[in-house]
Amino acid sequence: MVKYTIKRIIYMIFVFFVMSILLFFLYNKIPGDRAMQEVFPMRERLTPEQFQRLYEQTRMEMGLDDPLVTRYQKWITQVLKLNLGMSERQHRPVIDVVIPPMKITIFINIFAIILALGITIPLGIRTAVRKDSTFDRTVQVLTIVGYSIPTFIVALMFIYIFAVKLRWFPVSGMNTANFTGTGWAWFKDTMHHLALPLTIMTVTSLAGITRYVRAAMADALSMDYIKTARAKGLSEKSVIYSHAWRNALLPVITLIIGWIMSIFSGTFIIESMFSINGMGRLYIDSLNFKDFNVVLAIQMFYVIIGLVGNLIVDLSYGIVDPRVRIDG
Amino acid sequence: MSNEEKKTTPPKKGGLGRFLFGKRDEKDIMVEEQIQGPWKTVMKTFFSNKISVISLTAFLLIAAIVIIFPMFKPVVLSDEETTQQNLAPGRDFMKIPAGNYVKIAQGKSFGMGITEDGKVHSWGNTRIGRVNLSDIPEEVQKAKIVDISVGIDHVLALDDQGKVYSWGNNRQRQVKLPSEVEKMTGVKEVHASTQVSFIVTPDNKVIAWGNLNIFDYMASHGYDGQIEKLVVSSDAIFGITTDQEVVYLGRQKGFISTSAPQGVKIVDAAPTAKSFAGIDADGNIYTWGLRTYRGEGNVPEEIPGKPVKITGGRYHYTLLLEDGSAFSFGDNYFKQTNVPSAAKSDVKDVFSGYYQNYAVKEDGSIVTWGLKGYLMGTDEFGRDVWVRLMNGGRMTLTIGAVAVLISTVIGIIIGGISGYFGGTVDLLLQRVSEMISSLPFLPFAMILNALIGSSMSPDQRIYLMMIVLGLLSWTGLQRLVRAQVLSVREQEFVVAAKSIGVKEGEIVFRHIIPNVISVIIVSTTLSFAGSMLTESTLSFIGFGVQPPIPTWGNMLYGSTNSVVIQTYWWRWVFPAIALSLTIIAVNSIGDGLRDAIDPRSQER
Repeated sequence: MVKYTIKRIIYMIFVFFVMSILLFFLYNKIPGDRAMQEVFPMRERLTPEQFQRLYEQTRMEMGLDDPLVTRYQKWITQVLKLNLGMSERQHRPVIDVVIPPMKITIFINIFAIILALGITIPLGIRTAVRKDSTFDRTVQVLTIVGYSIPTFIVALMFIYIFAVKLRWFPVSGMNTANFTGTGWAWFKDTMHHLALPLTIMTVTSLAGITRYVRAAMADALSMDYIKTARAKGLSEKSVIYSHAWRNALLPVITLIIGWIMSIFSGTFIIESMFSINGMGRLYIDSLNFKDFNVVLAIQMFYVIIGLVGNLIVDLSYGIVDPRVRIDG
Repeated sequence: MSNEEKKTTPPKKGGLGRFLFGKRDEKDIMVEEQIQGPWKTVMKTFFSNKISVISLTAFLLIAAIVIIFPMFKPVVLSDEETTQQNLAPGRDFMKIPAGNYVKIAQGKSFGMGITEDGKVHSWGNTRIGRVNLSDIPEEVQKAKIVDISVGIDHVLALDDQGKVYSWGNNRQRQVKLPSEVEKMTGVKEVHASTQVSFIVTPDNKVIAWGNLNIFDYMASHGYDGQIEKLVVSSDAIFGITTDQEVVYLGRQKGFISTSAPQGVKIVDAAPTAKSFAGIDADGNIYTWGLRTYRGEGNVPEEIPGKPVKITGGRYHYTLLLEDGSAFSFGDNYFKQTNVPSAAKSDVKDVFSGYYQNYAVKEDGSIVTWGLKGYLMGTDEFGRDVWVRLMNGGRMTLTIGAVAVLISTVIGIIIGGISGYFGGTVDLLLQRVSEMISSLPFLPFAMILNALIGSSMSPDQRIYLMMIVLGLLSWTGLQRLVRAQVLSVREQEFVVAAKSIGVKEGEIVFRHIIPNVISVIIVSTTLSFAGSMLTESTLSFIGFGVQPPIPTWGNMLYGSTNSVVIQTYWWRWVFPAIALSLTIIAVNSIGDGLRDAIDPRSQER
């Protein structure tokens, strides 16, 4: 187990560097002269000679004339020290730019995950138990529809019904403008604003997880030990919940862990449609404004999240299910 | 993708006599397979599932429509028309009520006509912004109207006493009559145009009001007292003097002012959006002004008769010929110059405007041709949503299909090689695959499209999109194919092939892959839906295919604000329905196929 984990971590570090090289070279393919961008506002106040000197100096400071490899070395050492550079749009260190949206994203996602699991797990179990009944078939069809309809279309429909027609919920932001309340009042106001995006996030994730839970549960129910349990004369409740569900839990837990890792990345569509200042929206805005230091930082962060997520999922197989033995 | 993880055992080739085919009764699946062959069983199971059949039919129908329709009506990328913006769905632009019409004025999405008894009738989509032009003022309904003219969002009318009436949008004060006009009688002509109004007074002067900042008109043009008639396009004005000379009444000196014919007597003239045309007493046609690429300024060499009246639409002209037939020339995008045979004889009068034509026949009946309206309305640039929906559908399906093709080919090759050869090759390929699958898909596709795509032409960006989607989504299939190959490669037929010296590449792709094809088909179908979903999501947030090239995703771009969602519902409802239906259909087909192929689901 320890050996396997160490092996995986070494491999992760390797992948991280490969990805950083790839992203860095991509980043340097962007057309445009960043030194010129930096000094251009000074142009009016300086003589051409002074300006030229300043420009060359800036180029040197930014290291734009160094060979690509040297620049990568410089950049990656800075990144490893968590010095991710400055945001060109907000003129603040990237770390400071990224932290507040991440908090918002995590806050929203925790609610969405709790809601979604609260609905999908009972639903998945019920459909698996009553497999091929009308109820099951209806849910199957609905879930196909559910995971086929793009998130933004679901969001458009919800906005149309609940914000435009019924006027129950606002369409944008986290709080009422200039809101100053604290404690309970703040929570109420935030929840009123987040009701719609949270509902949409929950609804769009229902279909996939329900199907997954159903498949896992159906597999578990077809096992011989279920027949044994029934033959022993156990109550149906105990067969379903303590025999089948415990075994179905394994694949479900790995799914949930993988899914929880995604809460850091945020949801692009919903955050940008509802003007929530989360990670997804920050990423889109930074791409649109060509604020590439931020983009690069977020992208590297995603890579780390992805790798760590994979590792945790793999390790959790072993932790959750004693039958699975992981070794090199 | 959890649903791809389900493994299926490859169907074994059965070879017993097929003469029993058709007699289907309750048999064990293995027995049935041996009788019918695996594919027949799969097909039968698939087609016995109602949902699958409905989905397949729906998808084939959608695919056929969006592939065939654009061949006849390709989207014109430069096609932007300010006057046709945000028009609601409807085909009633020329649905004229019955009556004996003496004058018809066509607006951008509606018509106004005067019948012999002086009554004003309106039809079509008369709601323009906040005003409804069919709310005709009471005084107008009482008066006997003889002349009418419609602008973008207001109407001018003239009664038999020569008194001017107006209604509609007054934001630029184009409706509020100047005090001198209010009292005036005996007015000769009224002309409404883009937020401006013009009249010709009894003493042959021109009075203008409204938003004259955007309209090229000069009050001190020096022809007051001589003007008999006006010819008003959407942004320029000419007068016809009592001597039948064409004179320019605008400020800007330049091509438009100098291009008018000199020294000819013009008896009738008409404007299009930017150009003008006049006819002299001999029936010669002169055009001037700005001629657009749509060709409204090019007079055909052969005109089957002598024109006596000319009327103009947005980009075309219609002539009334001496022999009582109508003739149209110019832009034909909306079939506005296809004169029906009914309008080739006994025509008393013709009226045109925008993309519509009306011919009043001797017996009082009316023949219309041109644009009836937009089946699904128009978008914020005045483009036909239906045409864009069809062309966008083709684009969405094409991108999805090509991306899936790329990812399937890569997935089969890498999975096949990796599974068959194993060892170092396998290890290396699996690490690469893991690396790609650990990338967050959407952000990475976005950064690729933004960084590489920024220096590309729109067409190249479409190819980039296909390649990016294809290159990022082969990992799932690769894993499936590898697992299948691993389970097949030790079977006898592979050993047999090896022993007779078949090349290794051939063993993998000619002997093993055909045995795992069922997995590949299911995975391909499901990832086709996935690719379309990703493409439209990317296009929706502006990192995919760039407008004006339509896809179902980018047609929804910009419809997130509540004004569009509520007021211009047709801009998002139709693409949303089309996209959702297609993806649902494809996913159901994939699901049905998987159920049909997976013997475990057929436990009966």
